[in-house]
Amino acid sequence: MIKLNNVSKVFFPHTPNEVLALNNINLHIKPGDFITVIGSNGAGKTTLLKVISGAETVNEGRLTLAGKDITACPEHERAADIGRIDQNPLAGTAAEMTIEENLALAFLRGKKRGLGQAVNESRRQCFRQALAETRLGLEKRLQAPVGTLSGGQRQALALVMATLALPKLLLLDEHTAALDPQAARQIMALTAHLVQTKNLTTVMITHNMEHALRFGNRLIMMHRGRIILDLAGEEKAQLTVPQLIEKFSAASGEDFADDRVLLETVHQNNVVA
Amino acid sequence: MEMVLISGLQQGLIYGFMALGVLLTFCLLGFPDLTVEGTFPLGAATTATAVMEGFDPIPAVLLGAMAGALAGAATGLMHTKLKVNNILAGILTTSGIYTVMLWAMGRPNISLLNKEDFFTQVLALCGITSGELSLRAMQISIILILFLMVAAARLLLGWFLRTDLGLTIRAAGNNEKMLSALGVDVNQTKLLTLILANFLVGLSGALECQLQGFADVGLGIGVLVAAIASVILGIMLFGRRSLSWLLTGVILGSILYRGLLALGLWLKLPAENFKLVTAVLVLIVLTLPNISVFNKKAAPRSNADALAQQGPIN
Ligand SMILES: Nc1ncnc2c1ncn2[C@@H]1O[C@H](COP(=O)(O)OP(=O)(O)OP(=O)(O)O)[C@@H](O)[C@H]1O
Ligand SMILES: [Mg+2]
Repeated sequence: MIKLNNVSKVFFPHTPNEVLALNNINLHIKPGDFITVIGSNGAGKTTLLKVISGAETVNEGRLTLAGKDITACPEHERAADIGRIDQNPLAGTAAEMTIEENLALAFLRGKKRGLGQAVNESRRQCFRQALAETRLGLEKRLQAPVGTLSGGQRQALALVMATLALPKLLLLDEHTAALDPQAARQIMALTAHLVQTKNLTTVMITHNMEHALRFGNRLIMMHRGRIILDLAGEEKAQLTVPQLIEKFSAASGEDFADDRVLLETVHQNNVVA
Repeated sequence: MEMVLISGLQQGLIYGFMALGVLLTFCLLGFPDLTVEGTFPLGAATTATAVMEGFDPIPAVLLGAMAGALAGAATGLMHTKLKVNNILAGILTTSGIYTVMLWAMGRPNISLLNKEDFFTQVLALCGITSGELSLRAMQISIILILFLMVAAARLLLGWFLRTDLGLTIRAAGNNEKMLSALGVDVNQTKLLTLILANFLVGLSGALECQLQGFADVGLGIGVLVAAIASVILGIMLFGRRSLSWLLTGVILGSILYRGLLALGLWLKLPAENFKLVTAVLVLIVLTLPNISVFNKKAAPRSNADALAQQGPIN
């Protein structure tokens, strides 16, 4: 599906602030993969997704999508094949436009836009159907401005928008991190549902180790711009959170430096105990 | 008093095209397009020059509007291709236009006295000889013609902004990054909007030239602030409840603003103060809390949203 060959990304090159965000990444995402990505703060996870979606350009290396070299393609030319959701619920939707207008924009993802009516009855039908899957009742509020929705509702809408036109690849960047626990659970359930029913190839960054293990068929761990662990199949399925943290220390030579992950782990252990 | 009404309506309708253009760029696209100050006199100068060259008034007005569109394209290309800051791009175009106008007209102003004007020609097309009309009937005919034109522009824009292509304009003003991630070349959207908006502003200038019977390179001074004042008036009085209200509102705002100016003149208020008064009023309105006219963010729903709004999506 998509291949990254020796991809490197440097911010502020040749200055004292130089950051090597991606350090010679090689990754082959296969059709049907659901990859979860974890890693310490600043490991380069977000940068990896941005480089794939075209929101950032690479300094070195090549990207190919279904055999086609897309290294030089700007984001809007890759959009037909790639849907991406950000951690910020405000980033994926247009606040002053209605739900149906937002969906109409997503309906023609990557296609030519002409002078046809953006919202007509047949499209509305399709929007209602797609929204009904969120189970949030959004299908009854097609004309509501998106700015009046809660963060969770907006993220659900963003998810519907990202998947409406069936992209080849879905990129999720901690898309539940800014939500309260209940909304986060709903969005995760919706994500799993959409990925499964639409059979979407997916890469999902998460700070929740338990999510990283529970979802997907493959797990990638990043540290300082490198992929330090890539587990799939049985090996991933058998893994537990403490084992994962151990593997991280062994592979990186450091403790897992992420407050949120540690807190969540402690919290889970307390719940278990 | 009747003159106040006539002048307010005529000027308000003519500047209504400009208000629509300013609404497109400033409010919907979120692009502070200063080209307007150059496009307006350019529309007038182009029309006047064309008439002097022997063009009929109707095609001459069309040429004026197209010259405006070209100026919009210049600003748009500077911004999108050469990455010039949006305000600076408008300033550069405006400055260039000044020279182009002098060069085209050969002098700072042209009087079209004794030339057939746009309105006479339109009436002639309808089988009406304007020579036979009383002055009053002529003034009312002009208002009717302008009204039909503005109404047509309003309806066309309302339709266009609801098409797949038109939707991208509002989306670009709302959330540029999202639009790009949905496969739209945002630069093209900006270019298209600037062309469209400045076509309207050019048309405004062309019609003003035909109504007044002259063109002057200085015609554009202060028109942007006036247009912004009209747009604000429209939004304050008729709200941003819906796109339809927004479009109709700014035209009504323009009529109201021009009406107030005409009233001021009739009351013999010192005209030289109007621009300063307008500027101060616009400033006051913009600094009033909770009147989000050019601030496109809706009121935050919660503290979390308020915090998030300070994030990078601005
Ligand atoms: N636009 C940018 N300009 C400069 N430096 C950047 C930019 N984006 C990311 N970086 C730097 O690149 C490195 C990787 O950042 P990235 O956002 O990819 O990390 P991350 O793994 O997503 O971290 P987190 O878990 O905190 O979200 C960091 O050191 C960051 O400071
Ligand atoms: Mg990140």
